[in-house]
Amino acid sequence: MEEKLLLETVVLAGKIMLASGSEVYRVEDTMRYMLKQSDYPMAEPVVFATGLFVSLDDPERDSITIARRIPARSTNVNRICLVNDISRRFCSGKLTAEEAYAELKNVESSMQYSNFMKALGIVGVSASFAPIFGGNVLDFFTTAIVGVILALSDSLMKRLRLNDFCMTAFCAFMVAFSAMVIQKFIFPACNADVMIISPIMTLVPGVAFTTAVRDTLNGDYGAGSARMLEAIVVALAVAAGVGFGLVLFEFLWGGAA
Amino acid sequence: MIIQTVSAFFVVFMFTVLLELPRRYVLYTAASGAMGWWMYLMVQNAWNSSMMAAFVSTLVVAFLSHILARLKKAPVTVFFVSGTLPAVPGAAIYRSVYYFIHNDPDRCSYYLAETLQVAGAIAMAIFIMDSLFRLFLVYQHRKTPTG
Repeated sequence: MEEKLLLETVVLAGKIMLASGSEVYRVEDTMRYMLKQSDYPMAEPVVFATGLFVSLDDPERDSITIARRIPARSTNVNRICLVNDISRRFCSGKLTAEEAYAELKNVESSMQYSNFMKALGIVGVSASFAPIFGGNVLDFFTTAIVGVILALSDSLMKRLRLNDFCMTAFCAFMVAFSAMVIQKFIFPACNADVMIISPIMTLVPGVAFTTAVRDTLNGDYGAGSARMLEAIVVALAVAAGVGFGLVLFEFLWGGAA
Repeated sequence: MIIQTVSAFFVVFMFTVLLELPRRYVLYTAASGAMGWWMYLMVQNAWNSSMMAAFVSTLVVAFLSHILARLKKAPVTVFFVSGTLPAVPGAAIYRSVYYFIHNDPDRCSYYLAETLQVAGAIAMAIFIMDSLFRLFLVYQHRKTPTG
């Protein structure tokens, strides 16, 4: 049963890393190092973008294989770091398999920031982008208002559990539409371009794109193309959402002011 | 320019909350993001090309991330993913949609091309830095076979 526990620990570590948006080669490396603790001559992790397998094999014993599917992914760098840390301590013999498993179970549900903090983060990113795109002090505050609307629609969409495309498109739509409304009816002096572009930067798939490029470079073409497709889908959703928001506004109140 | 660099610092700082970056690395990441944006502005003033600007600024952020990862013994991704955010072509995507709706196909395709160019430039910069550091690692391993 020793091997079974080791295997469960390794699979859990891989699962957390993959679900937190780590690159595939890092997941495989970590799992391979941890598997060196077993006395099986052949131990092989295989990781895809949406699932992973681990197999331990020996001519004299039964082989053990575990497969896990990763249904949802979101970026959580803290978990990647924690798992990295646990695996280092495990490999240097400072942790037993039981301890490592228990610590990984804690990591699996760990969150550094509450949902409220995350919403504040969205508002903060939006508002901080305003000066970069040439906004003045007024734009800074109006962009923060649009950021609040974005944060609200984001949390609404997370509750509805729709797919990536619908989530992003709806958020982008709300941003474009509310920015145009604020400019037309509340603060005519502010810059609608800045108010739309800045909050959109939080929706644009920069993280997926960066990870996709690094996966592809490492020869993980499967994971690389999966993430690249994710980036393209999200970018198209942003474009569709913004486009629909602008069209609806102009349909309701005539041309852009 | 100073205001923009400071805002870039806060952008990356706030973005780390969304990505759940470990608290002890947040300041380093934000500083490297701000450095990257400063380079972006310098290059854009000199050559007036957002593609070159995105390329150079991503090179800088990638370089700093690799150095920081070695110093702090943390995965490179940690410093990387949020640092490149300001260079991502969000504005170009918006403008190309905007002109698409206002029936201006010339400007629409201009900004669409810019989006793709900037994305390609970021990818190239990541490729180059990753490969350079890999070469460096191989070299180090040769020098000290035990390490």
